[in-house]
Amino acid sequence: MLKRKLAGIAVILFLGMTATAQSQSISIQFDGSAFKLVGWKVPSAAPAKGWTSVFVVYAGAGDIPPLLGSYSVEAGALVFRPSFPIAPGVHYRAVFHPPAGGAAVENDFDGPPRDVTPMARVEHVYPSGDVWPSNQLRLYIYFSAPMSRGEAGARIHVLDENGKILPGVFLPGEELWDPGYKRLTMTFDPGRIKRGLTSNTAMGPPIADGKRYTLAIDKEWQDARGVPMVEGFRKNFRGGPAERTPPDPHKWRVVAPKVGTSEPLVVDFTTPMNYALLQRMLQVSGTHGSVTGTITVAEHETQWRFTPQEPWRAGDYQLIVDTGIEDLAGNHVGQLFDIDVFERVTEHITTQTISLPFSTR
Amino acid sequence: MRRITFVSSAVAFCLTVALAIGVTAARKPASPAADLPTGKVELQSAGALAFGPAGILFVGDSVGGSVVAIDTGDTKAMKTASINVQGVDQKIAALVGVPADQIVINDVKVNPVSKNVYLSGARGKGPDAMPLIVRVDASGTVTNVSLDNAKRAMVSLTDAPKSDTAARQNPRMLTITDMSFVNGNLLVAGLSNEEWSSSLRSIPYPFKDADKGATLQIWHASHGRYETAAPVRTFVPYTISGQQYILAAYTCTPLVKIPVSDLKPGAQVKGTTIADLGSGNQPLDMIPYKKDGHEFILVANSSRGVMKLKADDLGSYEKIDSPVVPNPPSNIAGVPYDTLGDLKGVQHIARIDDGNALLLIGGFTGAPYAPGPPSGPLNLQTIALP
Repeated sequence: MLKRKLAGIAVILFLGMTATAQSQSISIQFDGSAFKLVGWKVPSAAPAKGWTSVFVVYAGAGDIPPLLGSYSVEAGALVFRPSFPIAPGVHYRAVFHPPAGGAAVENDFDGPPRDVTPMARVEHVYPSGDVWPSNQLRLYIYFSAPMSRGEAGARIHVLDENGKILPGVFLPGEELWDPGYKRLTMTFDPGRIKRGLTSNTAMGPPIADGKRYTLAIDKEWQDARGVPMVEGFRKNFRGGPAERTPPDPHKWRVVAPKVGTSEPLVVDFTTPMNYALLQRMLQVSGTHGSVTGTITVAEHETQWRFTPQEPWRAGDYQLIVDTGIEDLAGNHVGQLFDIDVFERVTEHITTQTISLPFSTR
Repeated sequence: MRRITFVSSAVAFCLTVALAIGVTAARKPASPAADLPTGKVELQSAGALAFGPAGILFVGDSVGGSVVAIDTGDTKAMKTASINVQGVDQKIAALVGVPADQIVINDVKVNPVSKNVYLSGARGKGPDAMPLIVRVDASGTVTNVSLDNAKRAMVSLTDAPKSDTAARQNPRMLTITDMSFVNGNLLVAGLSNEEWSSSLRSIPYPFKDADKGATLQIWHASHGRYETAAPVRTFVPYTISGQQYILAAYTCTPLVKIPVSDLKPGAQVKGTTIADLGSGNQPLDMIPYKKDGHEFILVANSSRGVMKLKADDLGSYEKIDSPVVPNPPSNIAGVPYDTLGDLKGVQHIARIDDGNALLLIGGFTGAPYAPGPPSGPLNLQTIALP
């Protein structure tokens, strides 16, 4: 798509932007990917100071280095090919300095215009519930299109019930993206969450139990192309009590599926869990090994549903729980986010997984 | 990846950094770089940088889940350098042909031998961004470090096979936040975008096949009562009374010293929290130095400016063992420090020599606690250590 677009632009540029030489019939042409010096008798060997000393391309103005690229002689013309792809929104200046002296031949070109059609929007935010514990640790934001990094701090806000922006809610300067730049993980300031730290003592937790808040994401946030979003995003939530009980898989309700069906295995948690970790920290295993299937997270992250690819067989299965799985506050199995070493000194976990057996009905 | 669970105990009353480690014992300094094979440097992103022996540059690749060692061949020794470049982001943008707002600079380091500056970053801000490593010499000339044909070695931090296209889509990522070469091992700190845990890996260099190094599970306590398995954000090697430590700054701002000599297989190491750098803040870079017979640590922060810690007493410094509420507006506890008010917008600090440091400076849009995109050009500036 982009190639076709560039090719189209190339033809226009090629036809319409041929430089006029100040002397002789030397001209500089740009075909959308390479810059050609036409009409100059190219010597058999490069000058002592390299081709850059006679023909150079700049991407921008001011005191800048030449554009990185390589030179070749093609059909009698000196050709400069940039090392990196031609980018939208860049202004190029190509200059020929005749080695024999005389006026330089110079011409300006533009790369393809930037596509400015808004495309991105916020699709989901997790936790999806309306009550977030006061020691909420992570926030996941899912976008419909790849986004630009470097803007999250200025574009995500938590507002109080009067609409006033609250400072110091998130850990500043740390954007944790997935490789596709469509999911952002934000961390609430752990210094304010962790009991006993100066920030916690002086400022309290970022979210207060019983207060009402709005999560606001600005429309101005740019996608990976540098174009703002289609629309902003708002979500209202209320602060709840701090979550100070580690998840205990033995207290989860596991509803076994019927033999011969592909109905989902349903697991109900006692508290909402970390959405991202629910995608990979619970697995189903049978006597024939790991069971493949699809995962659905429902009921505001309090329910995990697993639909097998093949119908359930008669017999015994196990739900394998990675003890690293976390609730909304970063507590994981047998382990609080911040352990009180006075009160919980005996609480520990030494295994990496816990198995919850179930039999098909 | 092997995971080790640390069992807390009642004796954890003291400020404890417990490292359950399986690290290979410290090795001799690496062999000469000439051993590295030549070829394309397979980088999907260029993040944290560290220099090893003889011009070896380590590059952290968060997207690729790997660390690459590149032999820069940049080994002509220089005693010092004074590097000052206005608009280094604009110059890099011109070099690679994009508008300056499409340049991201991730890290800055000075080659301790040649004193040339190396910057890692990206051409573009989205998933198609191309990794960049550029060099700036003493004259301010910006050149690209070619990744097409270099002497290099790579170690993968993940178990995902390279050919697995689904692995590229895996949303779990370990963002490499800092690296340092200590006693023949490359220490790599990282943050996961999913689970909250410590991640400090020790990788022997030269890299060996299938040796991803060992993951250290780090715990630190604060004020004697609460512990978390917090990730390390930045760290530096540091010598106290002839003993080698690392000073590690955590995401929730405590600064902790950990003796390197205790990093032995199976050891549980007691460390000491020596400072709490305050709220709404991330430590970005640290450099230790000596001046006029005194020891200092310069810390660049995301929203609390540049701090100069008075580090003379680190060897015998009293650990923070009670929940002290510090006096506003300092909002800190532990090692005393001054905030250097004349240094604004410092994003990175790199050591040049005993008396000088290099800063990457640029303003941000947005509030200090919520910085947005840069508000102007980024500059390299050399300063005498304060």
